[in-house]
Amino acid sequence: MSEHSVVTVRGLRKTYGTRTVVDGLDLDVRAGEIVGLVGANGAGKTTTVECIQGLRKPDAGVLSVLGYDPVTQAERLRPLVGSQLQDSALPDRLRVAEALDLFATSRARDGGALVERFGLAERRRSVFSSLSGGERQRLFLVLALLNSPQLVILDELTQGLDPAARRNVWAAVRQLHEAGTTVLLVTHELDEAEALCDRVVVMNAGRVLDAGTPAELVDRHARWATVSFSLPDPPAPMLDELRQLNGVRDVERVGARVTVHGDRRIIAYVGAALVLWGPVPDDLSVHVPNLDDALLSLLGHEPAVEAPVPVRGELIGGRR
Amino acid sequence: MSTAVGRLVRAELRLIMRDPLVLTFVFAFPIVTMLIIGGAFGTAPDPAFDGVNPAHWYVASYLTVVIAAMGLVMLPVHLASYRERGVLRRFAAAGFPRWSFAIAELIIGLMTTAVACGLLLVVAVPVYGIPAVHDWWRVAAALPLGAVAFVSIGVLLGSLLPSARSAQAVGLLIFFPSFLLGAGGPPPDVMGSAVRTVAGPLPLTLLTNAVREPWLGLGPATGSLAAVAALAVVATAVAARRTAL
Repeated sequence: MSEHSVVTVRGLRKTYGTRTVVDGLDLDVRAGEIVGLVGANGAGKTTTVECIQGLRKPDAGVLSVLGYDPVTQAERLRPLVGSQLQDSALPDRLRVAEALDLFATSRARDGGALVERFGLAERRRSVFSSLSGGERQRLFLVLALLNSPQLVILDELTQGLDPAARRNVWAAVRQLHEAGTTVLLVTHELDEAEALCDRVVVMNAGRVLDAGTPAELVDRHARWATVSFSLPDPPAPMLDELRQLNGVRDVERVGARVTVHGDRRIIAYVGAALVLWGPVPDDLSVHVPNLDDALLSLLGHEPAVEAPVPVRGELIGGRR
Repeated sequence: MSTAVGRLVRAELRLIMRDPLVLTFVFAFPIVTMLIIGGAFGTAPDPAFDGVNPAHWYVASYLTVVIAAMGLVMLPVHLASYRERGVLRRFAAAGFPRWSFAIAELIIGLMTTAVACGLLLVVAVPVYGIPAVHDWWRVAAALPLGAVAFVSIGVLLGSLLPSARSAQAVGLLIFFPSFLLGAGGPPPDVMGSAVRTVAGPLPLTLLTNAVREPWLGLGPATGSLAAVAALAVVATAVAARRTAL
């Protein structure tokens, strides 16, 4: 483990029956980082974070989390980790305020302030079963942050949230980051990963395909930008001129619609050309490559593998 | 109580008091059936009831019905529902110590059983009266040992069965034959020999014998008491291991 490493995983392997869900995975999360674990459904993301929290026993591999081995020292590790788990609930008749009492340890911060910040103050006396999907997610986030964790693991953090609530949660994650908390974010919402993460690890079929900052991944795997506009009856020399511009890879025309593909520089060069030629078309649109494009490009080389539904029972009672 | 077990006990107590299954099955069912069965055979001493007042015979039997309802129906459903919905996973991830949930369930099971037994006796006093206890220490030993055994069996069933619905089905399937053959049904003397043979080794029959016989002065029931004690030890050890977070 390096000096500032919070999570170090080497050669993690986990199988359910004959199906390998995580296959020789390496992962590093350094102190203060927000690292996104992204990939298609069944890529092995959730199993990986469950092994990191000591909720599942790996079949092979070496893990160190906050200096502890999650397999043998789970009881010392878990109180230091705040987690928002996928597919888990609270008792139906438990009230919001009672949930805070139940989960608050001696390290707990002001639960009332957290409840206020996540818009649940009006629901303090409401039972869990009466909360909407978004309210439940926000309550889980409150519980994940309640005991001032050193590492926060958020699995499908904004699932079921409306856009406003989503932005609110993103702001909270950024505040955590500013306060120096390390965050491991599991998501298949790539705009979320792009907006929040310092580094992104792309997984498929239980392995890491690539890792880097969102910009690095986009640069490596989705370099091409697209500029398109409508130009009724464009003269042939104009299209030839577009093809000669720096960075242009291809120009295609379907009816009045002209689409120019190339690296990011074409956005400037095509824009400048259009200004020179006359009125800029009203419907000019630009697609800048993003993490979504990078992931699609990456996954295009590696077929997604559907993992089986993990045996939930193995988590409790001697079957790990 | 700010320890993990304390926080779990406090939350679980609130939840149990809001659970209709607990309120009907653990509190109401034993009282209602005791009132009905206890009144069915009159109050004159009867040879079929080892020569004692049948109403008193049932009052001395029905505390174990409370224990069985808690252990065979309420707890398995409660725990299986928690496992099915990922509540236990959340407790584990939140850092609740490995044994805290098992200990909390044992405490909750014993507390609820004690309250329900007390309520049953309070209802029995004005209707049938409470028979004098002949051998206090044996009754005082059998009841908590039986409660520990059945709470542990309930925790064990809840950890084995995959869903709340299956726990309810299996729990009721075990509870009703046990109830009819071992505690709340006809006395053993009116049963056929085959039925008596089946009923004899059932855990609830052993527990009821260990409570009723010393209570009514019918015998020490040492064998039954020893069997209940052994069951308590084994069931608790297995249940604690299965329920570790």
